[in-house]
Amino acid sequence: MQNIGITLLFIVLTIGLFWFMRNLYQRYPFAFFHPVLTTTIVICVLLVQLQIPYTTYMEGGQWLERLLGPAVVALAYPLYNQRTVMMRYKEAIILGISTGLITAMGSIILFAKLYKIEKEMIYTLLPKSMTTPVAIQLSESISGIPTLTAVFVMIAGFSGIIIGPLVMKWTGIEQPIGKGLALGSAAHALGIAKSTEYGELALSMASVSMTLSAIMGAFVGPILVYII
Amino acid sequence: MKKKIYIKILLILVQIIFLYGLSILGNLIVSLLNLPIPGSIVGLLLLFMGLHTNIIPVTFIQEGAGFILVVLPLFLIPSTVGVIEYPELLSIRGVMLILMVMVSTFLTMIIVGRVSTFREKKEEV
Repeated sequence: MQNIGITLLFIVLTIGLFWFMRNLYQRYPFAFFHPVLTTTIVICVLLVQLQIPYTTYMEGGQWLERLLGPAVVALAYPLYNQRTVMMRYKEAIILGISTGLITAMGSIILFAKLYKIEKEMIYTLLPKSMTTPVAIQLSESISGIPTLTAVFVMIAGFSGIIIGPLVMKWTGIEQPIGKGLALGSAAHALGIAKSTEYGELALSMASVSMTLSAIMGAFVGPILVYII
Repeated sequence: MKKKIYIKILLILVQIIFLYGLSILGNLIVSLLNLPIPGSIVGLLLLFMGLHTNIIPVTFIQEGAGFILVVLPLFLIPSTVGVIEYPELLSIRGVMLILMVMVSTFLTMIIVGRVSTFREKKEEV
């Protein structure tokens, strides 16, 4: 009976906090007010202060986590809606996301070899450019640490939208197609949100490239794990 | 008016259950074939093919898919909260890993942006 209470408490707490933080973010749309970031910080502080172990929190949390599966399946819907744009720019898209995937995963493997990072951490870092729900699930499939993967995905996303626009400016990436593809394949959902500033086409490109690189990455990641 | 809202909520629920079913089907396929990829990705591909071939009409999933994608960030929180189990992220090694992720992100953006821009210019000529 007590367990059901704890389960419900953590589910309601997470949903309530998230809902509040999302409203806050809608009013003050700064990157650091992103609801996932703020909700995570508040819950972490609460758990540490009240000395509640993570496993206890997860008695409720696991029920929310289970919905990641159907949410990933649902990504087919926006991809389907973008199919006309996808076909129209298919060459730039295929070229962009495949080189992006090679760079994103290749550079991690290269750095990891250079600094002698252990295998488990490489597997954890490998999905870092993918959209978080897929990254978490891929990390699990290739025996990384899903929680740390989620943190690295957020770091990739935030650096991609905060410093990324400057990097693109310095390197002469000006066209909406290039900007959209770069943001979607390197900074996932956060990149999509940022790409709205560069117009409709950039937004479509970011959205398509996020989903396609997640799908491709889910197949390429395990192959790389097998090779290294 | 109120009745309409109930019907919509019911529709969303039923459609999410359908998406859940696809994700379970994906997991089943992945475990049968012994593949190290997430089952939900197989579910995504099944749904995309279903929509593309009109076997699954868009109206069959659009309410549920739209809703679940809007609230998706909520489902990430249990994973991100797990960071309290890894205080070593705030060590020198942790900072190094974070820097690695950042550099890799910028490299990816530059390469993707340049490659597709190059492509775009070529098409203009």
